[in-house]
Amino acid sequence: MAKQTSALAELIERLPDPDERGLLSNIDAGTVDSVISQIYEGGRKSLRALIDMLVEPGQGDDVKPRYALHCLAVRMCRPEEEKSRRVFAQTLASQLGGKKPKSVQKYLIQQLQVAGGKEVAAALGKMLQDEELYEPAAQALVAIGDGAAGQLRDALPKAKGKIKITIVQNLGVVRDGESVDALKKALNDDDREIRLAAGWGLANIVDAGSVDLLLDAADVEATYERNTATKACLLLAERLLDAGRKDAAVKIYKHLRSTRSSSDEAYICEAAKEGLAAAAK
Amino acid sequence: MEGELIMPETKKVTRRQFIKGSVGAVSAFTIVPRHVLGGPNNTPPSETFGGALIGCGGRGNGTFNAMGLEAKKLAICDVKFVGREDNKKVYTDFRRVLERKDIDVVAIATPPHWHALISIAAMQAGKDVLCEKPMTRFIAEGRAVAEAEKRYNRIFQVGTFGRFGRSRDPKSIEIHKIMASGLLKNNCKGVHIKSGGLKVKQWSGMVNAQPQPIPKSLDWDMYCGPSPLRPYHPHRHGGTHRGYWDYEGGGLADMGQHHFDPVQWVYAKDDTSPVEIEAYAPPAHPEACGMWGWVELKYADGMTFVMDSKEWPVSEQPAYDRKSAREVSLSDLSEDDQKKIKEMPDPQPLVSFAEAVKTRKRAGGNADAANRSATLLHLANIAIRTGRKLRYDPVKEQIIGDEEANRLVNPPMRAPWHL
Repeated sequence: MAKQTSALAELIERLPDPDERGLLSNIDAGTVDSVISQIYEGGRKSLRALIDMLVEPGQGDDVKPRYALHCLAVRMCRPEEEKSRRVFAQTLASQLGGKKPKSVQKYLIQQLQVAGGKEVAAALGKMLQDEELYEPAAQALVAIGDGAAGQLRDALPKAKGKIKITIVQNLGVVRDGESVDALKKALNDDDREIRLAAGWGLANIVDAGSVDLLLDAADVEATYERNTATKACLLLAERLLDAGRKDAAVKIYKHLRSTRSSSDEAYICEAAKEGLAAAAK
Repeated sequence: MEGELIMPETKKVTRRQFIKGSVGAVSAFTIVPRHVLGGPNNTPPSETFGGALIGCGGRGNGTFNAMGLEAKKLAICDVKFVGREDNKKVYTDFRRVLERKDIDVVAIATPPHWHALISIAAMQAGKDVLCEKPMTRFIAEGRAVAEAEKRYNRIFQVGTFGRFGRSRDPKSIEIHKIMASGLLKNNCKGVHIKSGGLKVKQWSGMVNAQPQPIPKSLDWDMYCGPSPLRPYHPHRHGGTHRGYWDYEGGGLADMGQHHFDPVQWVYAKDDTSPVEIEAYAPPAHPEACGMWGWVELKYADGMTFVMDSKEWPVSEQPAYDRKSAREVSLSDLSEDDQKKIKEMPDPQPLVSFAEAVKTRKRAGGNADAANRSATLLHLANIAIRTGRKLRYDPVKEQIIGDEEANRLVNPPMRAPWHL
């Protein structure tokens, strides 16, 4: 293993050095491709050795190993590499939750956002409760898409604070119909950001059963929350119209037309009138 | 009472009410300042605006002035104002600025990872927006801004203005008419090459930046905003942010919209995007924008745009030599079709931001057009970052058959920020 690590270190050293400003300005594509190909040919052992070269920021120089790992991740996304991509992703995922520094695990998650698939969804889901890793984990899950909703849904009951905002928002991003009840409940949360994320999520899911709740949420006085919650209403109305649910869309537009009567909100009233005209066609 | 006049009204008719389209009935008397009616040395209400500048770095005042309006700067906002904010004139949180009802127009000169979110928030608060280029950090943001522009019927103009000059140039108008006519069908042989001027090395990022203490005057979490929260380094902030994928897209994104937005108008591509994109570049760094050679972007009708960096490879490698520049001209058409072009009316003059705000006509650099020219930059950068030839669907605004490349079309944002 030591011999292999030494060989890998020599290989990695061939990658370009940053110039005096810290830029990769003197980069030779052929050299990089050659180094990455040789790491790739070394298989899972090479990959693990490469991962072991990553350190916390400020604790050593791992510029080249980080670059090499990302180049490998991008290479794994070639259509002909599907089998290797799964092995690559599973190898990275196997390092999550262990003793490696959180900043290193964060970098591995970010590479899974590049090249991971549904095979790593469960491993990423476990990171959703980690105060330092929930954000990259949620982003990787959403980018991967396949398998994300279940992981986010399972994580919601235990989530609090910023983790909860992230999970609520991303349930809306992935349009998880099974989370409608949970999002409706979140509309009453004490945290403004959770309320707004839940409202937007219900609109993005196009839940016709949320019309009254979203209209109530948008009738608050506080300006930013009112504007943002009103956007969710308009978004829901547009999506309902597209889905052929004119009755529900018209209800939203009529409510906004009648309640946005001050001069400061005339543009909302006009938007509602435009929506009603579209619904009448 | 000097300086005030009496006029009949139940409500004061403000410029904001005019913009927001709800001037009420006039039936009683009220006292109105002289400037409301205009006159010598007084600007009438339809010419005065409450303005805000969000993002007060090197481009801030230039962007505010580019609005071309008699706008009073009522608020300035920047995440670097921590400890200076009074939430009356100086702010650190743009959301508080947008709550003000006396602000009509907003100039946005933050780093680009905030452009779309603040533009959308401003329009949903009823403001008109002039947003510094590049319009967006990734493709899906542009569509979201265009949807907000339409939904709220607000004015949006991107902060690049080259298309206004090209739209008055007779030769450009002729090409525009040829392309808009569709007479070339799918047999356009035009090639537009932009060689150099894309500041590739200048706006590259550091790959070895080590964490440093966050300045007390900077809200770093808010600065990162929708992008990943990284350790602070001064090179990620204050102009050099251009060199990081988290905030922009290198010199290509920074200068590209200046170069290609006018060309997009000339070739009548404001409502579509390329279908094939191919780049020549070394493997990209995950965080720092870096070197690249060239990118070809080909439209469905055959028209090709080329970005030729002239900065990489550094030596002994060939410059871009796959195609030669070739303008579209009347001679590409049959005599009958040439007659049709000559009989076509010229396109309507483009409307400036100031005129658009006053007349409620759509601005020449509106969100739909700006989204398409920003998409050119983003597609080029995705081809550079993936190292793969891409096929793009300009209607769905998605990359075809490459799931991992599509992850760069609409990357997830950090909560609570979302499109």
